[in-house]
Amino acid sequence: MPNTDRVPVTVLTGFLGSGKTTLLNRILTENHGKRIAVIENEFGEVGVDHELVIGAEEEIFESNNGCICCTVRGDLLRILGQLLKRRDRFDYIIIETTGMADPGPVAQTFFLDEDFKKQFLLDAIVTLVDARHIEQHLDQMDEPGQQVAFADVLLLNKTDLVTPAELERIERRVRAINGTARIFRTHNADVPIASVLDVGAFDLTRALAVDGDFLEPQYPFEWAGAYALPAGEVTLRTGAADAHADHHDHGHDHDHDHDHDHSHDHTAHDHDAHGHEHAGGLSVVLLPLADGSAASLDAAIEQAVRAFAEPAVAVECGGAVAVAPAGVHAALQIDHDGSAFAFRLPRAGHWAVFCEHAPVEFGLRLQGFEPSSQRAFASHHHDEEIASVGLADSRELDPARVNDWFSHLLQSRGADIFRMKGVLSLRGEPRRYVFHGVHMMFDGQLEQPWGARTRQNRLVFIGRNLDRAELEAGFESCVAR
Amino acid sequence: MAASRDHAVLDPRAALTLDDYVVSAAWAPDGSALAVVGGEGRVFRIAIEGLDRRGARLSAAAAGSHAIGGLAAVWSPAGDAFATSGQDNTVVIREALSGAARATFRPGMAWSEHLAYSPDGTQLAVASGKGLSLWSRDGTLLQRFAAQPGSVAALAWDRTGRELGAALNGGMLIASRAGVAKDADKGECFVTRQLKWPGQCLSVAWSPNGRVLASGVGDGSVHFWYLGTSRDSQMRGYPGRVNLTSWSGNSRYLATNAANDVVAWDFSGRGPEGSKPIVLRGHTEAIDCLAFQPGGSYLVSAGRDWRLSLWLPGKAAMALDAHLTDAEASCLCWSPDGNYVAVGERKGKVTVFALSRSG
Repeated sequence: MPNTDRVPVTVLTGFLGSGKTTLLNRILTENHGKRIAVIENEFGEVGVDHELVIGAEEEIFESNNGCICCTVRGDLLRILGQLLKRRDRFDYIIIETTGMADPGPVAQTFFLDEDFKKQFLLDAIVTLVDARHIEQHLDQMDEPGQQVAFADVLLLNKTDLVTPAELERIERRVRAINGTARIFRTHNADVPIASVLDVGAFDLTRALAVDGDFLEPQYPFEWAGAYALPAGEVTLRTGAADAHADHHDHGHDHDHDHDHDHSHDHTAHDHDAHGHEHAGGLSVVLLPLADGSAASLDAAIEQAVRAFAEPAVAVECGGAVAVAPAGVHAALQIDHDGSAFAFRLPRAGHWAVFCEHAPVEFGLRLQGFEPSSQRAFASHHHDEEIASVGLADSRELDPARVNDWFSHLLQSRGADIFRMKGVLSLRGEPRRYVFHGVHMMFDGQLEQPWGARTRQNRLVFIGRNLDRAELEAGFESCVAR
Repeated sequence: MAASRDHAVLDPRAALTLDDYVVSAAWAPDGSALAVVGGEGRVFRIAIEGLDRRGARLSAAAAGSHAIGGLAAVWSPAGDAFATSGQDNTVVIREALSGAARATFRPGMAWSEHLAYSPDGTQLAVASGKGLSLWSRDGTLLQRFAAQPGSVAALAWDRTGRELGAALNGGMLIASRAGVAKDADKGECFVTRQLKWPGQCLSVAWSPNGRVLASGVGDGSVHFWYLGTSRDSQMRGYPGRVNLTSWSGNSRYLATNAANDVVAWDFSGRGPEGSKPIVLRGHTEAIDCLAFQPGGSYLVSAGRDWRLSLWLPGKAAMALDAHLTDAEASCLCWSPDGNYVAVGERKGKVTVFALSRSG
């Protein structure tokens, strides 16, 4: 079906006070030449001054397939049904949900009915986050996490009300929940309109932008730094005791262009530990490097992965460890109030430190030394109930097995999987198979040929209590033999 | 009985095409006019002349509009006014002859999708999302009922006007007259009760004899409450949601939509329980409009197959007559005297047919 016939629909979610109405008013007043109808589920703090506003009372129905998670919004079904009675359609529809809304039923409404699919195209879910209150909200309620998890576009709004360090921490946390959303930092919901409208996040015919750092292989470490160190003892410290002294000393440029598709440059500056439990200690690997360059550090990644798989030397708080010429894997028994560990180096030179978690979470540093280069890796926080899991694999898949896996997955885990999307390389098929899903609602089709592009499967799951190992095993069962 | 006695056709008498999707149409009680609201919000008053003979004429006059789109049109049985509602969230009571607004009000935050005048025309019931309210003929609020947990899907008064039924997800809400309130200028007050049923009720159909209240249900069934008893029952086995229900004038048959078919239940004798329904086949796509002749036995259906069919359930298994419309029919209503049928289409055509019985 031609896309041009379908009216795009953007869903705007976010807690009360996050700035939905501000964004909406900006969209409506900007001169973009579109005739936009707005469906509002509550009266905003600031009224929307627009003649095409439709008021609606949120109403959730279970769809008739007997699945508890297949809920749709009855009010939207009726309203969109009525809007179909126009010959001159609106150019665009924006649905502003209530602050407490679960975006699931809204999104599923667009999957339910073939008539709707012909007429409306869910463009994207845009979630506004009040930077000042989001952490508290995430800790206390379910809905904010759901709204973040469902988002295709996330606006970290009201950034002027938090410190840069807080903002880093918030973005890390939000990114851990949703690894694929495009994140914008805004003061007053001031993003280019093109970033929130006509995004095409649910359009299978558009190239799926399944990007984001979580699609990298999941490394057992979150951070690495290269140091030039003397032979003998160096002290690795944790804790916030004198952390503020080197707070701004990283000499590391935060070039946030307000478009955080790639967050490799995020070395968060916060000093608040996330409260991880490290029963086995904090894993740290030291490896010798050829030089202090970033390339040299990257070249050590594979070796570091192997080292992390080796048994670790347990080091008590205040203890010391002898570093072998080939390096060491140490499990540091850190004390959150501050601890020190002595590393005895066999020779002077460039050394890489790979750390299980981001150093900022523990105030971890090598006393007296700064890294000559450093790199952050995908966060694998396990403290968020809702998180993203990305898989990338270039082996061809067996379509029948994929079908079995998805059927099983949606039936058994549909309630927990908020969003899924991906591109698959199927054996014997020159075209890419693209899919997306919301809970148990699933849409997939064959799209453009791979052509010169490297055939690679890329899948993303965002949901609650997702088990990476289970998803990997499921994927493995689909590989064509 | 002679077959010829049952022979009837729908004779197209007059038509016109409006520049809008016909969302809802209503007859004036004397059959002299139709009120229509369109998908883009225009309101028309269509005057009808000479229906009883060939050469009948329809003439439409603009009578205002609702921003964004229209939702419902009803004519007061008292004849003095008609009311329309729209996507601008307003309800407008309009003068019967001129269409001029007598009163404009916003009953709630959500659209007022369902309007129903009491049989004496003194109360206009308005369902606005989860809200239900009653308004006077001048647009004064008479009573606002407590918000319901879900939206009202349909609204209808019983024939006596003593009770108002509202279809809900979870059963039926009944508002009953409970005498004149102390606050006498507000007129009578109503009390409500629930007829519970764990399903999404989509329609309200009171049998003309007052014995049964029926509702189509979203799970593919029809539910009946036997009024005056504590008994209720249901008929299952529909291929999809049932949202159209209509009683024959003698309360014997209840016609319902079952995807492409009309299914009628016979309430004579021991009632429909355990019986096989009458299945009227002929449509090839979903049926969107279904209505029994007021006080009579003829049934008209219209569907997405652009077909308009005339049936006589219980007497003839096949359609007595069928016409192709120019587009999908979007609304259908019988004149109060049961002699004419107005059919509105998605592309704006309005046709008035006369029910013509031969033999």
